[in-house]
Amino acid sequence: MNHEAARTARLEVRIGEVLRFGTVASSTLFAVGLVMALAGYRSEFARLLLETGLIILIATPAARVVISVIEYIRERDWVFVVLTLVVLLALAASVVAAYL
Amino acid sequence: MNPLNPLNPLNLTAPLALIIFGAGAVAGALGVVLGLGGGIFLVPFLTLALGFPLKSAAAISLSTVIATSSAVTARRTGNQMINLRFGMVLEVATTAGSLLGGITAQFVAETTLQRLFGAVAIAVAFVMLGRINRRNVIADPAADPGRLGGRFYEEESGGTVTYRIKRLPLALFASFIAGNVSSLLGIGGGIIKVPVLNAWCGMPLRAAAATSALMIGVTATGGAIIYYGRGDLSPLLAAPAVLGVQLGSWAGLRLAQDASVKWLKILMAALLVVVAALMLVRSLR
Repeated sequence: MNHEAARTARLEVRIGEVLRFGTVASSTLFAVGLVMALAGYRSEFARLLLETGLIILIATPAARVVISVIEYIRERDWVFVVLTLVVLLALAASVVAAYL
Repeated sequence: MNPLNPLNPLNLTAPLALIIFGAGAVAGALGVVLGLGGGIFLVPFLTLALGFPLKSAAAISLSTVIATSSAVTARRTGNQMINLRFGMVLEVATTAGSLLGGITAQFVAETTLQRLFGAVAIAVAFVMLGRINRRNVIADPAADPGRLGGRFYEEESGGTVTYRIKRLPLALFASFIAGNVSSLLGIGGGIIKVPVLNAWCGMPLRAAAATSALMIGVTATGGAIIYYGRGDLSPLLAAPAVLGVQLGSWAGLRLAQDASVKWLKILMAALLVVVAALMLVRSLR
C-alpha cells in the first residue's frame, strides 16, 4: 500500500469511529427519551434527552468533516484542506440562514 | 399550533410513534438495499398516509437520512468501498446545492420542482436499464486509478476492482442538483447521484452507493439545521423515525449482501418510475 492509500485508510477508520459514536449516542438518547415521553415519566427531562439526541445526530456529519480538515492539515494536503473547509463553511452558512 | 393537530408533539401517542417507527424501518431497509437514503419512501408516506405537511415530513426525513448515512458508513469503513477523496470533492457541490436549495425554494413554485424531479427520475431510470450489464471496471489490478479513482476487493468475483473517474464536471453538477433537491424535498439525493456516477462517471454501482451514503449525511445536515433552527423539526417525531430507520438499515445491510448488482439496478429503475409518477401526480393536484 502506498503512502496516500495508507493515510486515506487511516482517515477512513477515524471517520468510522466518529460516526459510530454519534449514531450510538443519539440512538440511545432517542430510545430512552421516547420511552420516558410516551410513559409520561419526567416529561421535561425526556424532552431534554430527545433534544440532545437530535443535536448530536445533526452534529455528527459536521464532526466528521472537522476530523477530515484536521487530518488533511496534518498531511499538508492543501487542496483537500480547502475543499473540506468549504464544506464546513456551507454548513456554517446554514446555521446563519436558520437563525436569520 | 392546533392542539388537535397530530403534529403537535404533545399528542404523540404510542400507536403514532409505532407507525412512524415502522415506516422508518421499511424506508431504512429499502434505502440501504438500493443505496439511497430511504427518504424517498418516508416523505410520501408521512405526507400521503399520515397527513403531515411536506415541510415537517421533509424535516423528519432529513434527520433519518443523517442517521442512515452515519450508521451505514460507520459499518462500511475499512474496505475501501467508499471513495473518500472523490466523496469530499463532490460534497462541496452537494452542500452548496443544499444551501441554495433553501433559498431557491422561496422563488420556484413547488409544482415546477415536482415536475422537474419526475422528468429527471424517469430519464435516469431508462439510462439505468439501458446499461444494465455494463461494468465500470478495469480488469488489470495494477492499473492506475488516477487522482480520484479507486480500487476495492470485490467478494463475488474474488478480485480487486479498479476504476477511474470520468466526466468530473458532470459528477459535480449532478451532486449540486442532488444537494438542492435534498433540502427541498427531504431526501438524501442518492437517487440522482448514484445513477449518474454509475452510468457516466465510471464508478461501479457498489462504490457509487457507498460513497453517496457517506455524502448524504453532510448534505442532509445543511437542510436539517435550517429546519431545526426554524422550529420545523420536532425531536419527538424525529426520534421514532430515526430509531426505525436504524433498525431497518441494520436489516438492509444483510439483505444487500445477497442481492445481485443486476437486480439492484432493475429495482432502482422501477423505484425511480414510481417516485416520478408520485411527483407528477402531486404536481397536477
